[in-house]
Amino acid sequence: MPYLKLAFKNILRHKTRSLLAFLGIATSVALIFSIISFNKGFERGISRELDATGLHFMVVSSGCPHEVASLVLHAAVVPKFLDVEVIDKLKDFNGIDLISPILITQLPNPNKGRIDIIYGMDMQHIPKLKPSWQINGNLPSNDYEVIVGFEIADHDKLKIGDIIKYPDYPKNFRVSGIIQKTGGQDDAYIFMPLNAIQEILNKPQGVTAIGVKISRPEELSRITEEISMKVPGIQIVTMGQVLNSLANLAASAKTLSLSIAMVAIIVSAVGVMNLILMAIFERTQEIGMMRAVGASRYDIFKIIMNETIIITVSGGIAGIIFAVVASGIIENFVKLFIPYVPSGRMLLFEPLIAVFCLLFALSIGILSGSYPAWKASTISPIEAIRG
Amino acid sequence: MIELKDIEKIYLRGSERVYALRGISFSVMPGDFISITGPSGSGKTTLLHLIGCLDKPTKGTIKIDGVEVGNMKESDLLMIRRQKIGFVFQQFYLIPRLSVLENVMLPLIFAGKKKGLDKITSIIETVGLKDRIYHNPNQLSGGEMQRVAVARALINDPDILLADEPTGNLDTENSEKIFELLMSLNSKGLTVIMVTHNSELAGRAKSIIRLKDGGIQ
Repeated sequence: MPYLKLAFKNILRHKTRSLLAFLGIATSVALIFSIISFNKGFERGISRELDATGLHFMVVSSGCPHEVASLVLHAAVVPKFLDVEVIDKLKDFNGIDLISPILITQLPNPNKGRIDIIYGMDMQHIPKLKPSWQINGNLPSNDYEVIVGFEIADHDKLKIGDIIKYPDYPKNFRVSGIIQKTGGQDDAYIFMPLNAIQEILNKPQGVTAIGVKISRPEELSRITEEISMKVPGIQIVTMGQVLNSLANLAASAKTLSLSIAMVAIIVSAVGVMNLILMAIFERTQEIGMMRAVGASRYDIFKIIMNETIIITVSGGIAGIIFAVVASGIIENFVKLFIPYVPSGRMLLFEPLIAVFCLLFALSIGILSGSYPAWKASTISPIEAIRG
Repeated sequence: MIELKDIEKIYLRGSERVYALRGISFSVMPGDFISITGPSGSGKTTLLHLIGCLDKPTKGTIKIDGVEVGNMKESDLLMIRRQKIGFVFQQFYLIPRLSVLENVMLPLIFAGKKKGLDKITSIIETVGLKDRIYHNPNQLSGGEMQRVAVARALINDPDILLADEPTGNLDTENSEKIFELLMSLNSKGLTVIMVTHNSELAGRAKSIIRLKDGGIQ
């Protein structure tokens, strides 16, 4: 019968108390696992969505890079338009593979009871900017055809050839293609030829941003520096900067959540320590007996430490399992506190994070068990037996 | 062989010095069965703890098999307890969730020894509990629990069995059974030192040490 088994049986002597301590640790570890996993999933999601834009940087009118982040990923309407001459100026720079003007807007669609996000761009650029797209049907062949994202098509039961109408605009749009599921924001957009959306907005030359793809990504800083110096009134935001801006938005939420989790962990650890101290107090005579029949101080220390570690590590494992099983609910809850969340699952099982959380639970066990174990090991057998 | 010479044990109660034992000298030969008796507070248990290497005397010497143990360090006393001494207590002190077998095995684990199941079983059989081997303490009577405690004391093959009021919590019938068990173990060569209030049982030991106010009467 090893020490672990002895410790385990001791824990079962106080089922309710042990269960409460176990639940405290499980909840705290679930919280920490969820926060770290979510944060990692968040960064991965943003990175994936930025990759999906197929662009290296964007040129926008001077302003806040957060606006650009929203523009690119959240389809927010930015009430600023770029000077169209910028496009011609960009053409003069070496190393640029593609210049793609973008105009994003939101159009009320009362027939469906929602606001559609319209992403206007040059449809000829799609093969280069969105090489991963699988399109059922064709790219628009004229200004009154659109392609729609998977979610829109699925929700509206749209088929190729169907008509989309907007009340304030006299012309209809025919669906020429449906994009297969991408798992990103593209699933929720309607992609329209740039001219059409300019006409709808009555901004014949208006663009909110110019997406740029370069031939050699390693020349990114050289090209952006040159453009910044030579073209006035613009701001260049690389996808890396967008990533950082969005990651910073999430960081404050992460810090707050982790602080709350740390408080929960400390409370749980104190709970475990209290449980073990009470158990030792109740078992003083038994510990005295063990010393009398041959247990060393270290043996007693080990037994008590094992009890603490069993509670905290099993609590940690249960917490991780709970976090994974209930990830959908936890994810939706955490999303409430973060201003922008990329599409797709954020909270996935990450073995490394699980290992970290288990080591964390183990450390809590060692920290909260050390004092009670030391105290138990110093109990005088004579005093203990005397009672 | 156990030899005690001029043993004195003083406890400090605040600034007051309380003599638990004074001027105790006697020897215990291998195979002896000694009962220590006397009124409450006479120092019986303190004396047993000194012989059992759980405590150290304030003055005097205690030798076990010729080795002075009175001034040994804690780790050496622990080795003597593991190798030479078995303890039986009035309250049994069995661990509730462990079976009879697991309770009996406890000293083996602490001593880092391995013993086959058949050997452990045979010791449990010696105390008459073979059919109770997988029972938990709450399924046993008081007499049976004390027999488990005796088996636990025997598991490391000690030379000396120290029993502190082993029948103190038992009825007459079970007291008699436990005493007979101790007698039977003694007849096989085990040295038994028993602290008891029961003068009838004390009188049946090979020799009696009567204590009063910390000294031998």
